[in-house]
Amino acid sequence: MNVLTQKWPFYISGTVLAFMIVLCLYLFDDTIGMSDGMLVVSEYCNTAVQEKMVESPPPLDWQTGFLGGIFIGALAASLMSGTWKFKLFQEGEKGIMRKFLTTAACGLGGGFLVMLGLQLTGDSFFGQWAAAIQLSAGAWVFLIACFVVASGVAILLERRREGGGKA
Amino acid sequence: MEPLSLTGNYKLVVAILVGMFFGFLLVKSDLAWRKNCLNMLLLKDGSLLKTLLLSITIGVTLFFFAEKIGLVHLKVRPSYFWASLIGGIICGLGLAFCCRVPLTAIVSLASGRIYVLWTIAGMLLAIPFVKLISGWLSKSVYDWSEPIKTQQQVTSYFDVNNTALWISGIALLLGIFVHFTLGKEEGGGK
Repeated sequence: MNVLTQKWPFYISGTVLAFMIVLCLYLFDDTIGMSDGMLVVSEYCNTAVQEKMVESPPPLDWQTGFLGGIFIGALAASLMSGTWKFKLFQEGEKGIMRKFLTTAACGLGGGFLVMLGLQLTGDSFFGQWAAAIQLSAGAWVFLIACFVVASGVAILLERRREGGGKA
Repeated sequence: MEPLSLTGNYKLVVAILVGMFFGFLLVKSDLAWRKNCLNMLLLKDGSLLKTLLLSITIGVTLFFFAEKIGLVHLKVRPSYFWASLIGGIICGLGLAFCCRVPLTAIVSLASGRIYVLWTIAGMLLAIPFVKLISGWLSKSVYDWSEPIKTQQQVTSYFDVNNTALWISGIALLLGIFVHFTLGKEEGGGK
C-alpha cells in the first residue's frame, strides 16, 4: 500500500489518531483543536470590521500555526491522492438555485450550531475527543449527546427527503 | 519523566508540522468528507465509526500508561454537566446539517470544497454570539451544576475499578459489532 496516494484503512487511521492525540499532550502539554485558532481569527475579523481596515495579518501563534498546517497538509494529501475537487455546492440537490440555497443554509446554520455547541462546552471537537481519551465525564456526555442527536436528526432528514417526492 | 511542554518558536514550528500531519491524516482516513460523515450518521457506513472507536480503545490505554510514567499530564478543561449535554445536543444538530466540525471544515476547504466557506462563516459568527450571551450563560447553564470531577486513582490497568479498562473494552466490543453489522459505502472523496 502506498501511504501517500492510497486511502488508509481504519486500523491505521484509528491507531495514528490515538497516537497523535497523546503525542500532542506530550509535546504541548495541552490539547489540540481548531476552536482556539478560530477564536483568534474571529477576533481579528471583528476588529477589522469595526475599524473598517486590515492593517496586518492575524497573529501567528501556535494555534493559528496549527490551523495553517492543517490546511497545507490537507491540500498536499488531497492533491497526492487525487481527491482534490473544486466544488461550489454540496451534492444532493437539483437546480442551481436550490443547490445554492441548500448549501448556504446547511453550511451557515450547521456551522453556527456546531460552534455554538462547542463554545458552550468550552472546547473544540477534537479537544473533546482528547478529553474523552483522558476519561473526562463531561466530554463523554458531550460526545454521546452529539452523536445520538446528529444520527437521529440525519436519519429523520433523510427519510423526509426520500419521502418528499412520493406524496 | 515530564511532558516536553514546548514554548516559543519551537512550539510554533512543531504546531505547524503536527497540523500538516493532522491535515494529511484526516484526508487519508476519509474523516473530512461530507458524504462519509453523513453515511456514518445514517448508519450506512461503519468505517469512520470503526476509526473513531479504535482511536478511543488505543488512546485511552495509551494515555493511561503514558500518565503512569509521567509522560503526559491530565489536561482537561473544566466541564459542567448541563453545558456538556446542551452543547452536545446543539453541536449534534449542527453536525446533522453540515456534517463538519471546525477541523474537518478546514480540511475540506483545502481539498477544494469551496462551499465549506459557508460552514466556516457560520462557525465564525457563533463566536461573537456566544460572547453576547455569555452573561446569561454564566447565570444559567454554568450555574445549574458543579464542575464534573474526572480524576481517578487506580494503580493497575487490569483493576476492575479502572474506568480506562472499561471504556477501551466497550469501545473495542462496539468496534467489532460495527465491523460485522454495518456495511461500507464508497467514500465522498472520489
